[in-house]
Amino acid sequence: MAAVEGDGLERRVSVPHEETPTSPTVLPWDRFSNWIHCACVVTFDLELGQAMELIYPGHVKLTDVEKTNICYLSFPDSNSGCMGDTQFHFRIRQSPGRRHFPKSAIQKDYPHQLQADNGYLYGFVYFRQTKDKSIKRGYFQKSVVLVSRLPFIALFNQLVSIIAPEYFDNGEPSLEAACHDIDQWQCPLGGDTVSLPIFGTVLQVRIPSRSDKLLDRVPIKTTPSPVLPAPSILPSLYEIDIFSSFQTILPHIQMLWELVLTGEPLVVMAASPSVTSAAVQALISLIGPQKYCSDYRPYFTIHDSEFKEYTTKTQAPPSVILGVTNPFFAKTLQHWPHIIRIGEMMTQVPKGFNKLKKVSSMKTLDAKPGVYTRYKQFLAKDKGILKRIIKGMQAKRPVEAQNAILRRYFLELTQSFMIPLERYMGSLMPLQRNISPHKCPPSLRPFDTDEFLSTLERSGPQLTSGIKGDWEGLYRRFFRSPNFEGWYQHRQSEVNQKLQVLHLEALCNADLADWIQDKEEVEVVDLILRIREKLAFAVNNDIAINEESVHKLKKHLDVIVTSLPDDLQSVLKS
Amino acid sequence: MAVREVKVCLLGESGVGKSSIVLRFVSDSFKGALESTIGASFMTKRLEVGDVSYQFQIWDTAGQEKYRSLAPMYYRGASAAIIVYDITREATYRTVKDWVRELKRNCTADMVIAIAGNKSDLNDLREVRARDAEEYAQSIGALFIETSALSAVNVPHLFTAIAEGLPPEDPVSFRPGSTVQLRRQDESAQPKSSCCGSKKSR
Repeated sequence: MAAVEGDGLERRVSVPHEETPTSPTVLPWDRFSNWIHCACVVTFDLELGQAMELIYPGHVKLTDVEKTNICYLSFPDSNSGCMGDTQFHFRIRQSPGRRHFPKSAIQKDYPHQLQADNGYLYGFVYFRQTKDKSIKRGYFQKSVVLVSRLPFIALFNQLVSIIAPEYFDNGEPSLEAACHDIDQWQCPLGGDTVSLPIFGTVLQVRIPSRSDKLLDRVPIKTTPSPVLPAPSILPSLYEIDIFSSFQTILPHIQMLWELVLTGEPLVVMAASPSVTSAAVQALISLIGPQKYCSDYRPYFTIHDSEFKEYTTKTQAPPSVILGVTNPFFAKTLQHWPHIIRIGEMMTQVPKGFNKLKKVSSMKTLDAKPGVYTRYKQFLAKDKGILKRIIKGMQAKRPVEAQNAILRRYFLELTQSFMIPLERYMGSLMPLQRNISPHKCPPSLRPFDTDEFLSTLERSGPQLTSGIKGDWEGLYRRFFRSPNFEGWYQHRQSEVNQKLQVLHLEALCNADLADWIQDKEEVEVVDLILRIREKLAFAVNNDIAINEESVHKLKKHLDVIVTSLPDDLQSVLKS
Repeated sequence: MAVREVKVCLLGESGVGKSSIVLRFVSDSFKGALESTIGASFMTKRLEVGDVSYQFQIWDTAGQEKYRSLAPMYYRGASAAIIVYDITREATYRTVKDWVRELKRNCTADMVIAIAGNKSDLNDLREVRARDAEEYAQSIGALFIETSALSAVNVPHLFTAIAEGLPPEDPVSFRPGSTVQLRRQDESAQPKSSCCGSKKSR
């Protein structure tokens, strides 16, 4: 046998260092479900219409309503125009009464906009339609759908485009293999650059963190890899091409920012779900890092379980953004105040590009691309950005560069809008010296809109933005929107959590044994209950308290309890 | 130190010990009853050979027939393939030739192919003679080695031999300031006959 002589080589082999990605404490599918809820295959059944053919992994449960929604949303509304492969995504409500996923600790470092919304699921679809004479209907029509709670749009679109074609060629084992690959993925922790093996390649992407400096991007760290296979590096986990989405309606993009920020009802109409889903997602991203807090549906059909709720004429249109392709919606939603019609990509800048369209001219889906609204912008139109982008179009500037310009522009605009709010919020914080171990933790002062508006003169958006206009009016409109409420609640819970932590630390560091010396039994019991509450809070919220503090507090608790009479002790212990 | 990423794919019949070889290489351990692989498993391992650090990206494919058609995804773009058979099961050796044919058809000529006869600890039950496999490997320009994932014999050497058998890197992709140039001279000065006894005829 031509066996190797061990000597000589042994020395060159490095000491094995553990790089195994599996750990015994991780159960099968734990890693998978950090990323994805399930993968589905939706097919066209001659008798049933769209039908769920497969859900993987098999133990994952979807309710009937969820399944129906996924089935309808996984096919384009009108298949005729979608020969070949079509990719898009949708968002659905989880059925009520279902066990909601606890907000996992994994997400705690995510920027607010990337955190999963309780009660919603995303579906990332890869639809294939080809002529096939062997099938009764003459067509092969099938979709592979990845369902996830996380809005990692760019990653999951990429992922489904890798998995689906293999599935169409090789069937179920490839879906099984893909899910197994994903089940080896490391945890998506904010701030980490992760390597994600899938089907023989490795995708690399950075998970954003809430502590990222937004205006100068953290470049992805690339390990020098001189030889194939260099991992495929995804420039972003969630950002999509906003320039191409808005190309036909560019002059109105600043107004769209206002409409999204203030949570106005918006509908995007286009011929294909790829266009609507990209456009709706692009709209949401205009106000990043601010989270869009109303519901939005990148692709919405007449079969959707919320169809009635969202299209009723007996109430004012809800604060939602819908993407639709069915011509039926042109009539159903004609009472909506703002309608965006997106056309084909254009090669040159047409005449009348700058004009808004009247709502009345919007009767059918054949209407020209544009924004149909009577809305009057609060802020003055910034012609500079439009000029810059149009110049770029004429000079054939790469799409990535156009996107970078737009993203930066809107990030600065949103930041200019939010900074005064953040600053005012900071002023509502109680003073550190008001945090006493012997009192309840102090709370945040309530948000007073008039008081806030009075700060604008001195420290309003004019400090960071050159755009003139009625900023105050825009804030007033914003206060009535779910976006304000969502932002305020998020900040409030952050601040309260911080106050709890400070209060807990104050408790830890206080000399409680000394304090109880001259106290009534009631007060001592009160203290015990308060400490217990604190400990429960720390456990339930998984907040950043060091083990040592918790340990200290437990010790305090023991000491205090033993100072009480025996009968009371036994009551407290029970 | 120069770091070179190497995508390696393991192929071969079900139950020949592909995953056990990887487990031995990556964490120097052995489990008697590994569950059968689904699709493929992915692991990485760094190995220093000479003054180069090789970052192995290992795709350990499933041997079961139903995953057979997925294999191209995993060997596509790989710098090396390890075809594993079980020396105590002649049938597993016969499929080695199918894999070689498939790789020769679909991969570039500079892919390093290594044939590994595993379970060399079970010499009493041997069905495949080492000399036959070695001659075959030589005839197709592949590396050959008998391994035992159980007793760890030759497992690291398998990967060292692959590292040494890799074609020189494309000079364009060298990192500036690295010592790669020197290494290349060293390498070309080395006798080509590898420890595994078979020359890569190219």
